[in-house]
Amino acid sequence: MSYFRVNNKCNGCLACVENCPAVALAAEDRQGRRILKHNMTKCARCGQCWRVCPQDAVEFEHLMVSGWDEVVQLDLVHCRVCGEPIYSTVYQDKVIGEQYANPETTQPALCRMHRQRHAAATWRNAVVGRSDRKPRDEKT
Amino acid sequence: MIVGDIKPLEEIVSSIKGCRRVLVIGCGSCVSVCLSGGEREAEELGRELSDSRLYGGSEPPVLSVENILRQCERDLVNGFQKLPEGTDAVLSLACGAGVQTLADAFEPVPVIPALNTTFLGASDNPGTWTEKCLGCGDCILAKTAGICPVARCAKSLFNGPCGGSQGGYCEVGGGTFCAWTQIYARLKKTGQLHLIHELHGCKDWSPEGRGGPRKRIRPGVGDGAKKWR
Repeated sequence: MSYFRVNNKCNGCLACVENCPAVALAAEDRQGRRILKHNMTKCARCGQCWRVCPQDAVEFEHLMVSGWDEVVQLDLVHCRVCGEPIYSTVYQDKVIGEQYANPETTQPALCRMHRQRHAAATWRNAVVGRSDRKPRDEKT
Repeated sequence: MIVGDIKPLEEIVSSIKGCRRVLVIGCGSCVSVCLSGGEREAEELGRELSDSRLYGGSEPPVLSVENILRQCERDLVNGFQKLPEGTDAVLSLACGAGVQTLADAFEPVPVIPALNTTFLGASDNPGTWTEKCLGCGDCILAKTAGICPVARCAKSLFNGPCGGSQGGYCEVGGGTFCAWTQIYARLKKTGQLHLIHELHGCKDWSPEGRGGPRKRIRPGVGDGAKKWR
């Protein structure tokens, strides 16, 4: 999909092509048809095509405010407690997997909140396990 | 590119105090890239300015945040940027050129700068921008190994360093390199050291713009503009 769009008033006069300072517009006459081409990487979005078009055919708003292009789709890993999406499976394999020898025991798939709770519980268990203190919630 | 710094929040607050509805508008060009006035910074400023504690008991304005590709082209601003109804001030995160273009386009609504436009610079390293050009209108970079003594020498000297150049650094401090030491080193590397012996006469500062705003008209370009039809 091109962000440079013209409406049906375009008559192929090539005023836009001739006046584009970034050489981002080109035309090709092929098999009896005139084809207008736009190169987004060259486009400076200066608006000159819109300014010079004698037909008001250039819909420059698509170059000013436009939608999002989907670039990639990756499967997600969710927090095992609340189900909140946390990172992609690729991130889990490449980053988490390389950092921890056994990710499932050292860095289980948890969101930020549940990771903090998990860390606190691990610490509490470690402290309680080292001393003779009884856990706080146990009444003596 | 044009580099800017966001103004202190207190200054911005004092500028918009008493306004009921303010449009905060970022610019999608230079100041986006130097992380001072783009869409992200405009959103962040909008959030900060919504804090009622900043207004000392008076009602904070209703803020809306938008962004435009370039604030410095008046016909694009007129054509594509609409003012929300009831806006009684516009807070622009563009450079001074953008602020003035908006002020012309939105007259009589006041346009307030949220940025201090600081210099024309380049990014040598990610996250670092350094002043490189003063736009003096008479470029001598061909004779100074691509290092501008006008912008990069604290005294804008034209014929070698002053006595304050020590160990490759300028006496102004702050780790500023001596531009003439850099020029000498690069001329030597590029086999152009003979150029340093060329004496530069008094510089003609008239193209620098002290005689009023400079203007360039490219023949043929404006003739096809929308206004013409």
